[in-house]
Amino acid sequence: MTPTAAPGLARFQGPFFVTLGAALLLLPLVADNYIIHVMARLFVYVLVALGLNLLTGYAGQVSLGHAAFFAIGAYTAAVLAESLQWSFVPCVLAAAAVTAVVGYLLGLPCLRLSGLYLAMATLGFTLIVQEMLLQLAVITHGSEGMSVRPAAILGFKFDSDYRKYYLLLIITVGMLLFARNVVRGRTGRAFLAIRENERAAEAMGVNLARYKTIAFAISALYTGLAGALSAFLVGFLDPQEFSFFLSIQFITIIILGGLASLLGSILGAGFLIILPEMLAGLDVWQALVYGAIMVLTIIFMPFGLSGAIRRYGYRWFGLGVEPIVPRRLGH
Amino acid sequence: MVEILTSQVVSGLATGCVYALIALGFVLIFKATDVVNFAQGEFVMVSGFISYTLLVWFGLPYWIVLLATIALSGFMGVGLERLVVRPIMDAPIFSIVIATIGASTVLRSFAGIIYGYDVLPLPTFFSKDPIRLGVLSFTAMDAGVIGSSLMIMLALYLFFKLTKTGTAMRATAQSQTAARLMGVSVTRIFSLTWAISAAVGGVAGVLIAPIIYLDPNLGLIGVKAFAGAILGGFGSIPGAIVGGMLLGVLENLSGYFFNAGIKQVSTYILLILVLVVRPSGLFGAAPIRKL
Repeated sequence: MTPTAAPGLARFQGPFFVTLGAALLLLPLVADNYIIHVMARLFVYVLVALGLNLLTGYAGQVSLGHAAFFAIGAYTAAVLAESLQWSFVPCVLAAAAVTAVVGYLLGLPCLRLSGLYLAMATLGFTLIVQEMLLQLAVITHGSEGMSVRPAAILGFKFDSDYRKYYLLLIITVGMLLFARNVVRGRTGRAFLAIRENERAAEAMGVNLARYKTIAFAISALYTGLAGALSAFLVGFLDPQEFSFFLSIQFITIIILGGLASLLGSILGAGFLIILPEMLAGLDVWQALVYGAIMVLTIIFMPFGLSGAIRRYGYRWFGLGVEPIVPRRLGH
Repeated sequence: MVEILTSQVVSGLATGCVYALIALGFVLIFKATDVVNFAQGEFVMVSGFISYTLLVWFGLPYWIVLLATIALSGFMGVGLERLVVRPIMDAPIFSIVIATIGASTVLRSFAGIIYGYDVLPLPTFFSKDPIRLGVLSFTAMDAGVIGSSLMIMLALYLFFKLTKTGTAMRATAQSQTAARLMGVSVTRIFSLTWAISAAVGGVAGVLIAPIIYLDPNLGLIGVKAFAGAILGGFGSIPGAIVGGMLLGVLENLSGYFFNAGIKQVSTYILLILVLVVRPSGLFGAAPIRKL
């Protein structure tokens, strides 16, 4: 299983991303405020999905702790901006750095855990952090939540939906390119080696402890950055938001989008953020239909949207190579 | 003081027994089919509503309601396995987990549409009056919940140990290929496993709903039970029972000594500490590392 697209599909990758980028640049010309706001939120989720996919998709370490990283990023930025009056750029940088350190530290006790045990330990981390947000009311204002003023760089205020949209678009594209470099480089190869077989990776000279904690730190950095940006985008932090449902939503995004696929991170976030907006008219039936679509998507695309592109690109158009479907262990 | 403490331990044990039953459901399905079913908590919630409907709307007697709930719950388990899990048995394990999470979203919102999101009172067979035995102080409900849970566990143990079907189920858990070669219908065993897990979850629902609450979010109890199963060592049946009970007692005691917020997370703090020392839980076997 190679992380990059199959040869025949690779031809389309460049043009696809250029077209997508151009479309997103021009979108505000035709879309209304509401769509622009949803899209800006979508970018936040793309950032989280990229980070989580590096850790879970590439390095094979399942995390349900990302709602906590998201919360730590958001609250760090909010406290620095509101209580200490820091300006936007240092706030966001500090939030990303703090979250990366927390990710590194969480990675240490998680070194020996894998699979379901890791998922449960990180889920516990999410629940503990959410409770801390409520208990440390002196700093976080507890259940009252915190409001955050709009971002500003050198006096230029990002106060309208359009301005926020472009700010997030630029950051997301930048972080996407960074993720691509990580994946294609030595670190990304080490992640894949760890995912496929820890012992073999170790034998090839991959320092397990080092690369696993790096994966946690980078992943947390993305998620903390997304949290900080989300704080400025939404303008209000409610501790109830950072529940384990958010962690589940993050992991659902990358599994429906496709594990170990940057395109999958984008598609998954797009799918799971836009879908509820499209179902908003269904009123009480919304959650039910949403869940049913989730189930059907997995049944028809067990390897996510990007896996489906690879599979049907080969089957219908003869593009690329036949995807290898790994058999499950234990049979 | 001692009375208060013992009553806290006993009522914690009662909740813990229910966690243990739900955790058993997780582990049974995992052992037999290699699937982690995150809709396990929803079995508890739905069966709570089934028994509420039969008791309050139709006014049926308690024992009939209990049997009907267990049976309907079992059918729900089989239905979920057929509709959601069987089509994707070859998919990566986390894809299956997400599918069961999707299914639990459907069940939760369906319950919300029918019954609303207010807490409903589920009548119970047991009284909540305190009983005293020396330093022990507990309610008939605590004793009833603990007794019923232990009975279910014993019945399951005897079923797996003594019956032919039980032996076939254990064989399937050990090796599906070998079981198939011995003439065991593995697909039938899968359905049966889901039925039993859901039925056990159904009993848990009838027992716990009167103690805590009955609303569409009751399924979240599945998270605590899952934590119990992990604490005991996922895949180990004694682990699930001990892990669930331990969490119940600890949770209740920390609620007594600290505040309600700490009560909610104390179990997870314990869990993380245990996992740092024993990465496969208390009773879990260390994973075999293959090259």
